[in-house]
Amino acid sequence: MAAMVALRALRWRLLSGPRAARRRLSDFPVPEEKPQFPGASAEFADRLEFIQPNVISGIPVYRVMDRQGHVLSPDQDPQLPQEAVLKLYRTMTLLNTMDRILYESQRQGRISFYMTNYGEEGTHVGSAAALDASDLVFGQYREAGVLMYRGYPLDLFMAQCYGNASDTAKGRQMPVHYGCRERHFVTISSPLATQIPQAVGAAYAIKRSDGNRAVICYFGEGAASEGDAHAGFNFAATLECPIVFFCRNNGYAISTPTSEQYRGDGIAARGPGYGLLSIRVDGNDVFAVYNATREARRRAVAENQPVLIEAMTYRIGHHSTSDDSSAYRSVDEVNYWDKQDHPISRLRHYMVNRGWWDEEQEKGWRKSSRKMVMEAFEEAERKPKPSPQLLFSDVYRELPPHLRRQRAALERHLQLYGEHYPLEHFEK
Amino acid sequence: MNLFQSITSALDNALAKDPTAVIFGEDVAFGGVFRCTVGLRDKYGKDRVFNTPLCEQGIVGFGIGIAVAGATAIAEIQFADYIFPAFDQIVNEAAKYRYRSGDLFNCGNLTIRAPWGCVGHGALYHSQSPEAFFAHCPGIKIVIPRSPLQAKGLLLSCIEDKNPCIFFEPKILYRAAVEQVPVEPYNIPLSQAEVLQTGSDVTLVAWGTQVHVIKEVAAMAQEKLGVSCEVIDLRTILPWDTETVCKSVVKTGRLLISHEAPLTGGFASEISSTVQEECFLNLEAPISRVCGYDTPFPHIFEPFYIPDKWKCYDALRNMINY
Repeated sequence: MAAMVALRALRWRLLSGPRAARRRLSDFPVPEEKPQFPGASAEFADRLEFIQPNVISGIPVYRVMDRQGHVLSPDQDPQLPQEAVLKLYRTMTLLNTMDRILYESQRQGRISFYMTNYGEEGTHVGSAAALDASDLVFGQYREAGVLMYRGYPLDLFMAQCYGNASDTAKGRQMPVHYGCRERHFVTISSPLATQIPQAVGAAYAIKRSDGNRAVICYFGEGAASEGDAHAGFNFAATLECPIVFFCRNNGYAISTPTSEQYRGDGIAARGPGYGLLSIRVDGNDVFAVYNATREARRRAVAENQPVLIEAMTYRIGHHSTSDDSSAYRSVDEVNYWDKQDHPISRLRHYMVNRGWWDEEQEKGWRKSSRKMVMEAFEEAERKPKPSPQLLFSDVYRELPPHLRRQRAALERHLQLYGEHYPLEHFEK
Repeated sequence: MNLFQSITSALDNALAKDPTAVIFGEDVAFGGVFRCTVGLRDKYGKDRVFNTPLCEQGIVGFGIGIAVAGATAIAEIQFADYIFPAFDQIVNEAAKYRYRSGDLFNCGNLTIRAPWGCVGHGALYHSQSPEAFFAHCPGIKIVIPRSPLQAKGLLLSCIEDKNPCIFFEPKILYRAAVEQVPVEPYNIPLSQAEVLQTGSDVTLVAWGTQVHVIKEVAAMAQEKLGVSCEVIDLRTILPWDTETVCKSVVKTGRLLISHEAPLTGGFASEISSTVQEECFLNLEAPISRVCGYDTPFPHIFEPFYIPDKWKCYDALRNMINY
């Protein structure tokens, strides 16, 4: 090392001194030194060797509990108090109950569309519990448990799905496209992965304005194939943004299994390529998700760097009400995950082991949570839809003349042809 | 100031007034490939004027996120020809953010700037005028200045406007156009066309560089044909000032619209369609569109491609003789 420095110094003197022009190339010693390219920092290699991508024994899956809810290493138990654990459990099960009822309501033609969260509830509540309440959330579409954990009421979930007059989004979007400003949950949009570079930009602005806040960005392993994901990871790293990237790897993007989505070692293995701190966790283990998210958040904010978490899980439900997954996977496979490795049962085992839950409480809670959901459901059914005037607002902050004219044109049209429109279901 | 200096001045004013404002894009740190951001990084710091990786969809997505978080985002796309990777973020996301969330969220603090239009040798990928693609997208604003004085006022209005805006800058004018421009900030309103010269026989409408072409055509028409032209700079493409244009056509009865972008589906089609709806009985001749051909923008054939003053003059003559 000292020899290299000395050689470098010698060469500099030789190259820059007044007699430099008279030196010939053969005058200079050939030092054993590192490559000087601006683009990479590495040693030279003198054997031709390709790097073999490692997918057989890739990045390990961090877990805290086994499938029976036993904590494997006590020092990894986050030691959450009973109330906190019960909140995790109740949120997951309430979500599950709401999913069942709203899925059914779509089958009955009461709402137009729905997406369930079966099997992934652990990724939602484990991560949500690890964040500060004011951390900004950008989601994809299968993160309703994060919003539920933050206290978004059942009637507002339902209002959005029904597009009724209580919907804070004024009936503009398809069901499950939730958003809530006061709970810092940015409104969902259908295009995949578009939220990823946006989350990075928000994190950059938040870094400048508030040193103690993070952004979390959720997406699936399919969305991670989009160009926007690549853009987001790269920007977050180069611009040093306090963001946690949370990938729900649930095995499928509609019918496309992971074997057709990528050939590398999942999404976690891409992280180091961008310069991201990366980890893979068991998404069905709420404590593993909690621990990883907590530490990721801490480091993201403390060190102004992005962190990538890939949470392995399984999509037990169909992609949506427009999908019948028996067309591309076996019922046995689905049942396996539902029975053998479900975040809700795992946490329940843990709670029962601790003496915090029993069969009677389970029965009682199932009954009361179902009652809450049904009440919200019936109310959502009864409410009218918002006024058709709201078709025209919020395109711009102000209502421009051309939209004013178009709105008036619709009003005149409805005066003449209103009988052909479902006006009785809408507010005036 | 020339055009790029007037842009720098506007950006300087914006960053001075609004501490949340940041400028980012490819190569903006050293001053930008067209020198629009020279001196700003030194003055305002590297956290406010910075390079991004080479990725337009990332630049716009990132900019949306900054705006959603409440800060002011001024994104630069290096050439309008390269804006297309960001089309999804602009059309599906930025334009729809407020509407789809019921006004819970918005990215009104986002402005996207891009060099635009022919430059003499730019060919397919350094000459495009893509405003028509975006004009079809409710929720964004599109603004194109004709001069340094206009540019500064319009850009400041875009930055302050609470809707996402795209600001196209005629690159051929960056150095060539020079005007007295105030150093202090000032605003020029959006969605207001400007009548540069009143007239009684023909209405000429254009935006950006082409405004100077139609001004020359107006002079030629007066001298050679004794025809009095009303010259209008549209300035904002979306939402556009239908009132000023229609009022003019009601008076003159003849309309000629000219732009470099290709004829089919170009923004002249929208203007033509609206004017014939509103002013049908006032028209003395069919509405004339003098535009680029329906080809990609050629290199060596540029002098033949562009809608120059002779093509505009010829179209005007035909309208008068109709």
